Amino acid sequence: MEASSPHVLPGKAPPRTKPVLVLGLGNDILSDDAVGLNVAREIRRHLSDSDGIEVQETSEMGLALLDHIVGFADLILVDAVQTRQAPPGFLHEFDGGQLKILSIVSPHFLGVGEIVALGRQLGLPVPGRVKIFAIEVKDPFTVGDSMTPALRRVLRPIALRVLAAARQLHGNRRVSRGG
Amino acid sequence: MNPDTTKVWNEAGARANAAAQTARRRVTIDPITRLEGHGKIDIFLDDAGDVERAYLQIPELRGFEVFSLGRPAEEMPQITSRICGVCPTAHHMAATKALDDLYQVEPPPAARKIRELVYNTFVMEDHALHVYILGGPDFIVGPQAPPEQRNVVGVIQKVGIEVGKKVISMRRRLRELIAYFGGKVIHPVLGLPGGVSKGLKPEDLPPFQALAKDTLDFALFTLQVFKDIVLKNPDYVKLITSDAYTHRTYYMGLVDAQNRVNFYDGLVRVVDASGKEYAKFPARQYRDFVAEHVEPWSYVKFCFLKPLGWHGFEEGPQSSVYAVAPLARLNVADGMATPQAQKACEEFFNTLGGKPVHHTLANHWARVVEMIYAAERIVELLNDPEITSTDLRVIPSAKPSVGVGVVEAPRGTLYHHFETDGQGLITKANLIVATQNNAARIAMSVEKAAKGLIKKGNVSEGLLNMVEMAFRAYDPCFGCATHSLPGHLPLCVSIYDPRRNLLRQLVQPASLKLG
Repeated sequence: MEASSPHVLPGKAPPRTKPVLVLGLGNDILSDDAVGLNVAREIRRHLSDSDGIEVQETSEMGLALLDHIVGFADLILVDAVQTRQAPPGFLHEFDGGQLKILSIVSPHFLGVGEIVALGRQLGLPVPGRVKIFAIEVKDPFTVGDSMTPALRRVLRPIALRVLAAARQLHGNRRVSRGG
Repeated sequence: MNPDTTKVWNEAGARANAAAQTARRRVTIDPITRLEGHGKIDIFLDDAGDVERAYLQIPELRGFEVFSLGRPAEEMPQITSRICGVCPTAHHMAATKALDDLYQVEPPPAARKIRELVYNTFVMEDHALHVYILGGPDFIVGPQAPPEQRNVVGVIQKVGIEVGKKVISMRRRLRELIAYFGGKVIHPVLGLPGGVSKGLKPEDLPPFQALAKDTLDFALFTLQVFKDIVLKNPDYVKLITSDAYTHRTYYMGLVDAQNRVNFYDGLVRVVDASGKEYAKFPARQYRDFVAEHVEPWSYVKFCFLKPLGWHGFEEGPQSSVYAVAPLARLNVADGMATPQAQKACEEFFNTLGGKPVHHTLANHWARVVEMIYAAERIVELLNDPEITSTDLRVIPSAKPSVGVGVVEAPRGTLYHHFETDGQGLITKANLIVATQNNAARIAMSVEKAAKGLIKKGNVSEGLLNMVEMAFRAYDPCFGCATHSLPGHLPLCVSIYDPRRNLLRQLVQPASLKLG
C-alpha cells in the first residue's frame, strides 16, 4: 500500500526518526512504471530498524514530492526510465549533486532538482544529498497491474543494490559525524 | 547527469529523430525526455527553410479499455484516478458521476455538496500550482527574463519567499481537506454511485471554515499579484493579445442552469467564434457533438464538433475545432456564480475587448478568475447547513447499462463513458480527456508560434520559450509520462539539414547546481 503523504508545515521540520529516505516513484497500474514502487516494497523486506532508513512509495509527482522529502538528511529516489539505450532492467545511477535546475518545460512537471532547490529557498530542511536510481523499463504505457518478465527478474538484485547505497549514505553520515 | 549519460541521451534522441524523419528538414522539441517518438513537438521546414507544419505528439496510453473489461463498474473511480498522477480527483469525480448515470441514481443534496466541495478544492489547488509554479516562469518571471531565471526559483525570487511559503502552505491545507474526505489525494476513495463514502462531522467544520476564508483571501491576493506583475506591464499585455497567440475557434465548457461556469455539473455549452451559442447538451449526448479525427503522424485523436465535420486545423468561420480549459469556460458562460469572481470576470472581458476572448495566453488570467470562483464556492459550501448532513447516499437499484459522466477538469472538459452488462461488469469504457479536446487547437498554437519564429532556416534562440508558452497556457496533461528521470526535463531542439544530419542542438540551459 502507498504510504500516506507526511504533511509538514513550511519552515518546520517534521518528526523524522530516520535520516535516510528511499522513495519509490511510479504508477502501479501502468505495467513497468510500477518498478520504483516494487523496488521500494522489496527493499522493505530486507530492511531492519537499525538501518536508519525510511522507505516510502508514492504515485505523486512534482511539488507533491516536497511533502515526502522534507526533514530527511539524505534522499534516494527510485523511478522508471526509458532511454532505449540499455536493456530492460538496467540500472542507471545519477548523483543528485549533478542535477541542475531547468526552466519548467512540462506543464505539470517539477524535477527533483527544482523541488529540492525550492524547498531550500523556502527554508525547509530538504535532503542535503540526493541519489537517483533509474531503472530501464520496457513498457510504462500499457494499463496493467503486472510488470514485464525482465523487470520482475531484476527486482531483488536492484533492491539490494539500492539498499546498499542507502546504507552507505547512512554509514557515511555516522562517520562524518565522528561516530 | 554525467557527460556520458548526456551523450547517450542525446544520441538516443538523435537516432529516434533520424529514423522517423522524412526528407524534409525537421526541428524537434522534446519535452518528455524518457520517451522517443512521444510527447514531442516536431517542426517540419520546407525547402525555403520556413515552417511547413508543426506537430504536437502526446504519449499514447494503451490498454485502458482491455484492463477495464469485465471489472465491476464501481471500480472505475479508483482505476481511472490511478491512471493519471496529475488529475486524480477529476477522473475520480467524472467516473463517479458516470456511475450515478449508469445506475440512474441521484445523490442526496449533502453528498452532492461534499463532492462539489472536494472538487472545487482540487481545482483551487491545481490552479494555484499552475499560476505560481508552472505558468509562473512565463508571466511572473517574464517571457523575456534570462533563461537561468525562468524556473521555480526565479518565481520565488520575484514574488518573495513569504509568498512562496504561503503558496506551499495553502496547497498543503487544501490537500488536507481533500484527504479528509477521500483518504488520499492521489487515489481518492470518496465517490460511490448515488453518494459519497464519508460525511463532514460538525466538530470538524470550524477549521475547514477557517481554511475557506484563507483560501478566498489567497485567491484575491493572487489576482492582485497577477494585476501588479502582468497587467501593469504593457509588454505582457501586448504579448497576451498578440496575433501569434490568437485563434478564432469554438469553445466548450460546463454551465449551470443560468449559464454560469460550473466545474462539477451542468450542461455542456458550445459557443462559436463570435460568442453565439452553438449547442447545449447533457453529457449523455456527447457523442452527437464530439468526434475524433486521426492523423497519420500522431497518436492523438483530435476532437472536433461532429455536426460540422472535420475541416482541418483551421480557425475562423470554416473551423470545427474547439477549445476547452479556463478561457473556454469563461467564453461559454454568461458569467460567474459568485460575486467576486463575477467582478473579476467582467474586468477580464472589459480589458481584453469583450467576449469571446481568443487569446490563448489569456488562459493564465482566466485561471486566476476561476480560483476566485472556486474559493467563493468553497466558502459557500462550508457555510451551508446541509454540508454536515449524514444523508449521504441513495442505494442504487436500477439495472445498469450505459453511464456517462462529465466534469470540468482544471485543464478542460473531461468525459467518462462506461457500458456494462446486467451485472454491472464493464463491457465498454471510453475517456475523452481535456488535452484531447484541446489537441487540435494546441497543435495550431504550436504551429503559429513556430511559423512566427523560424524564417528562412534561422531558428531563433527564443523558439523554445515561445513555443513552450504556446502549449503551456492550455495546461495540457501528459499524465502518465511525467515521471521523467533523472529528475528533470531538458528541453531540446534538434535542427537537421536536408540530408537529415544534425546541424545543432539547442538545449534549455542548465543554470543552477543543486548540490
